[in-house]
Amino acid sequence: MKEYDSKNNNSMLDDEDELTVKQLIDGLEKLDKWNPVSTPNLQWFQQNVELEKKRIRKKQWKDLLTFISVAVFVLSVGIAVVYRQPILILYFQLVGIILLPLALNKTRKKVSNE
Amino acid sequence: MDEKDLIRKAKKGDTLALSKLLQLNYSFLVKYLMKVTLHPQIAEDLTQETMMKCIEKIQLYNGESKFSSWLITIATNLFIDQQRRKKREKNWLEQEQALRKMKWNAAIMNEEWTDVLDVLAQINEEIRMPIVLKHYYGYSYEEIGKMMGIAEGTVKSRVSNGLKSVRKELAELEGV
Repeated sequence: MKEYDSKNNNSMLDDEDELTVKQLIDGLEKLDKWNPVSTPNLQWFQQNVELEKKRIRKKQWKDLLTFISVAVFVLSVGIAVVYRQPILILYFQLVGIILLPLALNKTRKKVSNE
Repeated sequence: MDEKDLIRKAKKGDTLALSKLLQLNYSFLVKYLMKVTLHPQIAEDLTQETMMKCIEKIQLYNGESKFSSWLITIATNLFIDQQRRKKREKNWLEQEQALRKMKWNAAIMNEEWTDVLDVLAQINEEIRMPIVLKHYYGYSYEEIGKMMGIAEGTVKSRVSNGLKSVRKELAELEGV
């Protein structure tokens, strides 16, 4: 199924490349012929869409609950520390500043390894 | 109801419209994946995954490209991710089995197998994909670059070098 005019598309090719492209297109068309695709009925798609939507909603609720729980925990710890020993907040921030470059470096390494 | 109406309704949460949209594009997607994976089972599995992703991300479709091109982008990236996770040796074995099965299908239909598919199967999928997208589907280098998340120049060189390598392998196979 070519969506564009392949003749126009291949106008920059030399004769040899054009022949290779023709062989490629023929081969790929044969592939479609040898492996016919049967499209399932609409009900099957509806069932899948509904199931997937349900799964996404469930996941979103789970993520939201996790986020709220973590936020409440962090906030409670913060408030408790501020009221009892305010100096600890400064220590936490210092540790954070030291650890931040390490954490960023680790992330960069992960990306470059891919 | 045309595709634009279906997309508009699907984005508003209409399950029936989204189902029709997916049904309309199902065969196109399987056929595309069959051509780039050269593996019917992987093509079917990736089609399912692409549809799941589409259901999740339909709100993000902005209509800049055709809906089918958007699906191809999702499918292409899922395939690239899958290939990176798999071990190369296992990939090769799976590919061999799939090719044998497809050759069997061709034989059942009394058709002669074509060498070009063997050659395509041998080349790396990151080269095979832009060749198929460019020369079978007719996408521009820029569009393919966007779909695969690589520079336009990289697509050009992959297609050009890939085509040369296909030609060379074919000539060797045909004994020219």
